[in-house]
Amino acid sequence: MATSKAPSADPKSSSDLPAEQPQQPKQQTLEEDDEFEDFPVDGTPPSPHWQADDTEATQNQQPQHLWEESWDDDDTTDDFSNQLKEELKKVEASKTKR
Amino acid sequence: MSLVVQFLTKIRGFALEADGASLKDWLQVENDVPDIYYNMAQEIKSTYPDNGSDALEKFVDKCLPEEDDVQEGRGSPWPGFNSFIKDYLEYWRDVDFDDVVNVYTRLSELLISCANALANPTYGVMLLQTSMALSESLSKLVMSLTRQPEVLALIEGDETGDGESKSIVEMAADIIQKFFTSCLGDRSSTRWAPPKGKKVAVYLFANLTLKLLFACEKSHLAVQMFTNLSTSGPALSLYPASQRVTFLYYLGRFNFDNAHYFRAHMCLEEAYRQCHTSFLKHRRQILTYWIPSNILCGRFPSLTLLSRPEAAGFAEIFLPVCSAVRSGNFVAFHAALNQHRDWLWERGLYLVFLYRLKPLLWRGLTRKTFLLRSSMDSTGQEGDSNKAASLSFEDVVVTAGYVQKLLEGYIPAHPSAPRPPPQGVSTVFMKAVNNVVPGQNSTLVPLPGGPRYLMPSEGLIFGNKKPDVDSVESVVAGLVYGGLLQGFIARQQRKFAVEGAKRYGGNAVRAGWPGVYEALGQRFRESWEEGLEAADRGEGEVVGDFGECPGWVRDSS
Repeated sequence: MATSKAPSADPKSSSDLPAEQPQQPKQQTLEEDDEFEDFPVDGTPPSPHWQADDTEATQNQQPQHLWEESWDDDDTTDDFSNQLKEELKKVEASKTKR
Repeated sequence: MSLVVQFLTKIRGFALEADGASLKDWLQVENDVPDIYYNMAQEIKSTYPDNGSDALEKFVDKCLPEEDDVQEGRGSPWPGFNSFIKDYLEYWRDVDFDDVVNVYTRLSELLISCANALANPTYGVMLLQTSMALSESLSKLVMSLTRQPEVLALIEGDETGDGESKSIVEMAADIIQKFFTSCLGDRSSTRWAPPKGKKVAVYLFANLTLKLLFACEKSHLAVQMFTNLSTSGPALSLYPASQRVTFLYYLGRFNFDNAHYFRAHMCLEEAYRQCHTSFLKHRRQILTYWIPSNILCGRFPSLTLLSRPEAAGFAEIFLPVCSAVRSGNFVAFHAALNQHRDWLWERGLYLVFLYRLKPLLWRGLTRKTFLLRSSMDSTGQEGDSNKAASLSFEDVVVTAGYVQKLLEGYIPAHPSAPRPPPQGVSTVFMKAVNNVVPGQNSTLVPLPGGPRYLMPSEGLIFGNKKPDVDSVESVVAGLVYGGLLQGFIARQQRKFAVEGAKRYGGNAVRAGWPGVYEALGQRFRESWEEGLEAADRGEGEVVGDFGECPGWVRDSS
C-alpha cells in the first residue's frame, strides 16, 4: 500500500485507461453467487458446532496486520501533484501579470 | 386400514411420546418423498374432496383425541396441533408440484398453521424441528423464485397494485419471523443459560428471516427483530458457531446498509474471526462487506489480507479506490469505481462509495493542496516558521477547479511532451483558445464541443458547478465538523487555519489533517456520548455501553 503511487490524473492517460490495460477475462471468483450460503448442517465436517481452534479467533495468537491506518500520501512529486502544482503556478502567474 | 388412518395413528404415537424428530421425519412437504405420500394424497382427494365440508377436520379430531392425564415428559395432541395436521393433509390433497405458484401458496398457509401450533406453551416445542424443516423448505422455494423473475412476476402480478403490496419474499420472511417470535418468548431457559425448549431455535429462525429480508432488499424490516433480541434475546455465544457467524454477517450488513460502518466492522470482524477457516466462500462473502466497512472508517485493507485466498480478485477492485482516496484524486476515483461498476453495484457498494467516500477525497485534495503550497513557498525561502499554518481557499479553488476540468474532459493546453492534438482539434484552434479566451489562467483547455455534461454525482460540487470560494468554504466547514480537519475557518482571510501544530512538533499537516480512522473513531465516540447525555435527559433511546451493537447480545458480564 505504502509504496503504490496514485494513478495518474492526466486526462489522456486516464481516458485511455481501459485500452491500455488488456481486457482480462473476469475471474471466476467475481462471478459467483452473492448469497451467503447455509452452513452444512450435517454430513461432512466441520459440524455446525466447530470449535474456536479452527478459526481466526485463536489460530493466530499474534494479531495479523490486516489494515492500514496510516496511509497518507506525502508525495508531492507524482504526476497528479505535478499537474496541480503547475496549475497553481499558472494561476499565480496570471494574477501577477494583471 | 386406510393410509390416512395409518398416518394419523403414527402421528398420534409421536405426539404422545413428544417425539419431535419423528414428527419432522413424517411431516414431509417436498416432492422428493416416497410414493406412499402421493398415494395418501389420492386417498384424501377421493374421501375428503375440497367442497367446504368440515369432514376432514372432524376425522382428524377423532383420530387425534386430546389426552387428559399426561405424564411428565410425554405429550398430547392439542387443538392447534390438530388444525395443523388437518392443514397438512389438505396440503397434500391440493398441492401441485408442477405449479410453483400453487406450491408457494399452499406451503405458506401450512407454515402459518404450523406457527400457530408451535405457539402452544406446553406442547408446542414438539413441533420445533418440523417448524425448522418447513421454514427451510419455504425459504428454499422462495429463494429459488427470486432467481426466476418471470415466475415471481406471475405471483406478484396477482396483487392489487396499490404500491403497498408485499413481495412474496417479504411475506415469507413475515411468516418465518412468527417462529422467531414464538421461540424468543419461550421461558424454559433464562437469557444467559444454555438454551432449552424453543429457545434453541431463536437464531436459526432469525437467520432464515434475515436471509429472506436481504434477498428482497428489505433489510430495514429487521429492526424490530434486532430490538427484540436486544431486549430479551439469549446470548449469541450460547449458540452453534455456524449460527453465530451467519447472524453476525447479517447484522454487519444491516449496519452497513444503515451507514453504521464502525458497528458493521465490529460484527463482520467477529463473523470473520469465528468462521471456520475451511469455509472460503463464507469468508469471502464476509470480506465483501468487511473491507468496504473499513475503507469507510478510514482503514485500508493490507496486502496481507488481500493476498488471502478468500480475497482473490479484491485487490484489483479495492486498491485503486484506496489509492484515489489517498491522493484526493477524483478522476482516478471515478475511473476506479467505473471499472468494477457492475460488481460494486450488485453488492450495494457503488453508491455508498460514490457518496460516502467524497469527504475523504476532499480531505485528500485539501491536504495535497496544503502540501504543494508549503513545498512551493518553502523553495528558496526560509524563516517563515512563525507564520501560522493555513490553507488558502483560493488555492483549493484552483486545485479543485483543475480536477473538475479534468472530469469535464478538458485537456492540457501545453502538453509537456510533444503529442498530436486530440482528434478533431486543430493546433490553430488550440493556439487560438489559449490566446483569445480572456483571463485564460489554466493549464487546461476545453475540447471543441465544450465541457462534458456531468451527472450531479460526477462533479466535485454538483454536476458542472464550478468550485468557488463559497463552495470550498462549505466543504471545508463540513470536514471540520466531521473531525477530518483540525482547525478553524478564518472567513475574512478566506483560509482554513490549522490548530495544534505545536503538539506535533510543528508538523502542521499532521495536526490539521489527523488520521482518518482515528478522527472518525473519535467522532463515533462523541456521537455515542451525545446519545448517552440525551438518554440521561430522558430524550432519545437508551444507549448501551460504548462499542455495543444493538441486536448483538453478548454475555451478561
